[in-house]
Amino acid sequence: MQDTHISLAHGNGGRYMRELIEELFARHLANPHLDVDADAVAIPLPPGEVLVTTDGFTVQPLEFPGGDIGALAVHGTVNDLAVAGARPCYLTLNVFVEEGFEIATLDRIVASLAHAAQEAGVVVAAGDTKVLPRGEGGGLYLATTGVGVRAPGRRLGLREVRAGDRVLVSGPVGDHGVAVMLAREQFGLRGELRSDAASVLPLTETLLGIDGLRFMRDPTRGGLATVANEIVRASGLNLHLNEAQIPVREPVRAVCEMLGYDPLYLACEGRVVAVVAPETAETALAAWRELPSGTEAALIGNLNKAQTRARVILRTPLGGERVLEELEDDPLPRIC
Amino acid sequence: MDSQRFVIGGRVQGVGFRPFVYRLAHRLGLAGSVRNGAGVVEIEAHGDDVALAAFAEALMAEAPAIACPLLLERGTPGPVDDTDGGFRILPSRAGEAPRNHVPPDYFTCPDCLTEFADPGNRRYRYPFINCTQCGPRYTLIRALPYDRAATTMAGFALCPDCRREYEDPLDRRFHAEPVACPTCGPRLEYVVGGERIMGNEAALAAAVGMLHADATVAVKGIGGYHLLCDARSEVAVARLRSRKLRPHKPLAVLFAEDLRDLHRAAALSPAHEAALRAAERPIVLVPLRTGHDLAPSLCPGLDELGVLLPYSPLHHLLATDFGGPLVATSANLSGEPVLTDETEAESRLAGVADAFLHHNRLIERPADDSVLRVVDGRPRPLRLGRGLAPLELDLPQPLAHPLLAVGGHLKNTVALAWENRVVVSPHLGDLDSPRARDLFTRTIDDLQRLYGVRAEAVICDAHPDYASTRWAAAQALPMYRIWHHHAHASAVAGEHPAYGRWLTFAWDGVGLGPDGTLWGGETLYGAPGRWRRVGSLRPFRLPGAGRAGREPWRSAAALCWEVGLPWSFGGEMAAGDVALLRGAWEHDLNCHRSSAAGRVFDAAAALLGLVREASFEGQGPMYLEALAAAQAGTVEAVTLPLAQDDDGLWITDWAPLLPLLDDPARVPADKAACVHESLARAILAQALVLRERQQIDAIALTGGVFQNRLLAERALILLATEGFAAHLGECVPSNDAGLSFGQVIEYAATVSNSP
Ligand SMILES: [Fe+3]
Ligand SMILES: [Mg+2]
Ligand SMILES: [Zn+2]
Ligand SMILES: [Zn+2]
Repeated sequence: MQDTHISLAHGNGGRYMRELIEELFARHLANPHLDVDADAVAIPLPPGEVLVTTDGFTVQPLEFPGGDIGALAVHGTVNDLAVAGARPCYLTLNVFVEEGFEIATLDRIVASLAHAAQEAGVVVAAGDTKVLPRGEGGGLYLATTGVGVRAPGRRLGLREVRAGDRVLVSGPVGDHGVAVMLAREQFGLRGELRSDAASVLPLTETLLGIDGLRFMRDPTRGGLATVANEIVRASGLNLHLNEAQIPVREPVRAVCEMLGYDPLYLACEGRVVAVVAPETAETALAAWRELPSGTEAALIGNLNKAQTRARVILRTPLGGERVLEELEDDPLPRIC
Repeated sequence: MDSQRFVIGGRVQGVGFRPFVYRLAHRLGLAGSVRNGAGVVEIEAHGDDVALAAFAEALMAEAPAIACPLLLERGTPGPVDDTDGGFRILPSRAGEAPRNHVPPDYFTCPDCLTEFADPGNRRYRYPFINCTQCGPRYTLIRALPYDRAATTMAGFALCPDCRREYEDPLDRRFHAEPVACPTCGPRLEYVVGGERIMGNEAALAAAVGMLHADATVAVKGIGGYHLLCDARSEVAVARLRSRKLRPHKPLAVLFAEDLRDLHRAAALSPAHEAALRAAERPIVLVPLRTGHDLAPSLCPGLDELGVLLPYSPLHHLLATDFGGPLVATSANLSGEPVLTDETEAESRLAGVADAFLHHNRLIERPADDSVLRVVDGRPRPLRLGRGLAPLELDLPQPLAHPLLAVGGHLKNTVALAWENRVVVSPHLGDLDSPRARDLFTRTIDDLQRLYGVRAEAVICDAHPDYASTRWAAAQALPMYRIWHHHAHASAVAGEHPAYGRWLTFAWDGVGLGPDGTLWGGETLYGAPGRWRRVGSLRPFRLPGAGRAGREPWRSAAALCWEVGLPWSFGGEMAAGDVALLRGAWEHDLNCHRSSAAGRVFDAAAALLGLVREASFEGQGPMYLEALAAAQAGTVEAVTLPLAQDDDGLWITDWAPLLPLLDDPARVPADKAACVHESLARAILAQALVLRERQQIDAIALTGGVFQNRLLAERALILLATEGFAAHLGECVPSNDAGLSFGQVIEYAATVSNSP
C-alpha cells in the first residue's frame, strides 16, 4: 500500500518525503535552479519589469479530455503573466496531496506539469509538498506562483482602452468548461469535446509586436462574458459583441443548448481576449490566424461611448440586443 | 333663485372637466364657479330649480368620455356672495394643490370625428385633429402642469384660428394642449428608398398605395411605430413574419370604425364591442369566425385574434382609405420597447419595412398598445399601454413614505406610490434588452418628476438576477424584496380591499419562492403582508434552467421522468442528446425544482405535439387552450389526487394527466379540454378541503396562467357553485405586469409602513 499510495509519512519530512521528492518531483522537474536542499534560490532575470502572479488549482476531475491539473497549474499561471505582456520565467509549485492518493497518478500529473512547463519555457524553481489526512482534501490541489519579465515602458491594461477599439478572441470559447463538466459528471464519451488548456504565449507574444494593442486577458472562470464585463466596468464604455462572430465549436454549442448553459460564461484555459485599436485590429487578427492556436480567431465586438449606463450588449443573429450581465452565483431561470 | 354645491371625485382633473362644467353652466344659464380642490372638483351653481336639476344630471351623464366623475357631495353651499356674476373657473385654493394627474392618450372623440369627416371644416381629414376630450397626452407631456409649452407641441406656434379656440372658454378646444390644424400643426412625411413625399394627402396616398402592393409600411402613431400590411394578403403577412423573424406570435389587426369587416371576421359579444369602442382603444382578443377572409398566418394555432379600432385620426384615414383590415403590430423586436424615433425606426427597421410614414410631432415616451381579453364577462388587461397607463389607483391605506416598486423581469412595469395613491407605468417590455433597461430607468425618473414625488424606498422581486432587482440593489435607497407569488396575490387583494382572509391561487410560469425552489402553482392563505403557503402542485425538476421556459418539451420530459415514465419525442431528438439531458437531470446539473402550473400546461402542449419549442411566451398553453375550446364543458375530468405532504401542504398531483395525454382512444381536443377541466377541479378540491380548516372570505386567481380564459372561467364557475366569492384581477394584469402594483400592496400592508 505504501509503495503505491501516498501516506501521511510522505509529508512528515523524513525518508518517505525525501524519496518522493527525489524520485518523483525532481525526476520530472530537474533543472539548475531547483535545489531540493536549499531553503531559497536565487533566480537571475533578464532586464525589464518583474511581474509576479499566483494561482491555486482545484479542478475536478484531476484528469480530463485535453488536459489535467498538472498542465493546468502551469498554463493558468503562465497565461496570467503572458496576457499581462510578460515573458514567464519561473514557477514555484505547492502540492497538497491527500493521504491514499495513488502515486502513479501523481507521477503522471507531475510529468504532465513538467512537460507543460518545458513547452512554455519556464522552470520550476522552488516547491513544497504537504500531505492532508484522508478525507480532508480533494485528492490533489496545486498552487503555483509565476515570475516573469515585461519590456520596460509597455503600456498595456484596461486603462488604455478607448472608444472605437475592437475586441478579438483567439479561438472558440467554452471548450474547457464543457469538457471538464462532462468529465466530472461522468457522462461517458463525447470524444469531440476537449479542453482548450494550453499556453497562450505564442498568441500574446505575437500581439505584443503590434501597435495599438491595449489590453489582453485570458477568459478563465466566468468566461468571455466576465472579461467583457471587466472591460466595461473599467472603461465606462459600451461593449457591443456580435454573437454570430463569436466562435463556439459545434459540439460545445450542442451540449450547452441541451443542458441550458451559455458558452459565453464557460471557462477557457487557452484563449485570449484582446482589445486593439481600430487601425490595427485587422492586422492583429491576421497575425493570430497565422498561428496554430489562432486559426479560429475572430473580431467579435467593439467599444463605444455609452449614452446611458455602460453595458455589455450582445447583438443576436436575429437582430435583437441582450444585456450580458455579470455572472450570478447560481443563475435561476427568469422566465415567468 | 336656488344654490347648490357639488363635490366631484373620481377622474376629473386633467380631463377637461372644468371647461365642461363651465360650458354646461353657460348653456343652462347658471351662475357660480368651479375650481380644483385636493383630488376633487368643487362646484357652486346658482339658478332656478329646473336648471339646477338639469345641471346635476348632465354633470354625470354628459361628462367627457375620458372623465370618470363620482358625486361625493351635493348640498346647500355656505354664504353665497355673488350669484349674478356669471360662471367662473376659479384658481385652486392655496394649500389645496390639485392632485397631479398624468392623463393617458385617448382616441379621437365623436365631435372631432364629425369635423374630420366634414369637407367644409378646416380640419377635414387632418391626421392630428384633437380636442380637450381626445388625442395624445402621456406620450407628449414633458412636465406638469400639463400645458402646451411643456409638451412636444411646444414647437408648433398656434395659428390665429387655433389660438382663438384655445383661449375661448366656451370652445371645446379651450386649453386643448395639443390643438393643431393643417396650417400650424404636425404633418405627415412618407419615405421610400431615397424618396420623400411631403404633404398629408400625398404622403397618405403613397402609403396606402404601398399597402395595396403587399408591402410593409412603418407608421408613426401616438406612442410609437406600427408595422402595417394588408391583413387579408397571405403574401404580405408571410413576408412581414419572415422579415420580423416572428414565425407564430399572433399579429394584431386594425379594423375600420364601422365594424363591417370586423363583424364578418369575428363573433363579437357586447362586451367585446364595448371594450373595442372605449376611449382607450385597446387591442381586444376576439373569437374568429370560421371561414373568415383574413390571412391564415395571422394567428396560427389560435381561435382568437387581437383587433383594434382606429385610435388616432391618422389610423382612421389609413383604415378607411385602405378599405380593409390592416395588420398593425408594434414596430420592435420581440419583447423590446416600441420604436418612437424616426432615425432609429429607419435604421432598425431597414430590413423589415418597405416604406415609412412619419410625422413631425415628437413622441416624448413610448406607449405600446394596451391588450385586453374578455374573461368572465369583463375585459381584463393583459398589457397596460396607450390609453390605460399610467394607471392611477387608490391604496387601501396611506403610506408612511413614497415607494418605488420595480416589478419583475419580463413584461415589466414599475409603480410609484405615495400617500394613498399608486401609479402603475405602461408596459416597458422584457428587461433583457438595453433599450428596455433605458426605458425602465427613464420611466422611473419620469414618473417621479411628473408626479413630484421622490421614492424613499425601493421594492423589488426576491429573484436576485432580475434586471429590476439588480437595479434596485444598486440604488442608495432602502430596498425590500417581495416574494414573487406574494406580489401576485397582493395584486388581486389590492383591488378588493374589503376582503379579510383570502385563499389565493397564484399560478404562473416560475418565480423564486422562499424555499429556494421555483414556485408557480401555489395556494396562499392570508392577506397582504401575511401570506402563508397552504397548497401547491407536485414538484418536479426542470432540466436546462432558463431554457425550460422557452422549450415546452423540457417540461414534458420533466413530468415523465418525475413519475418514472420513459420520454422520447417520437424519436425526433437524437438519443444521445436525450441521454445527456437525462444524465444531467439525474445529477441535478442545471436543473431546478419547480411546482409551476405554467410548466404543466407547457408539458401538456408538448405531449400533444402542439408546441415543442415556443417562438413566443405562452405559446404552448395558448395552443392548448385554443385546441380545448371546442370541447370545453362537455368533457369529464380526471381526478388529480390531493394529499397533505410532510409539511402539511395540500399537494395536487398532476400525474394522472400523463396517461390521459398518452391515451390513443381520445382525440387531442378532448385531451386538451380534459387537462383544463381537471386542473379547474383541482382548484376547487383544494378550496373545499382548505375551507374546512380556515375561514375564507374570498378566493383569488392570479398569475399569468389565469390569462387562460377557459381555465379561469371553469374555475370561477365551479367555485361559485360551492358558494365561494372568487375574483380575477380587474384593472391590473394578472401576469407579471401586475407585480409592481402587488409589491406596493404587499409592502404597504406591513404595519411599520403606515403613518
Ligand atoms: Fe409570475
Ligand atoms: Mg489565473
Ligand atoms: Zn376630440
Ligand atoms: Zn392652427
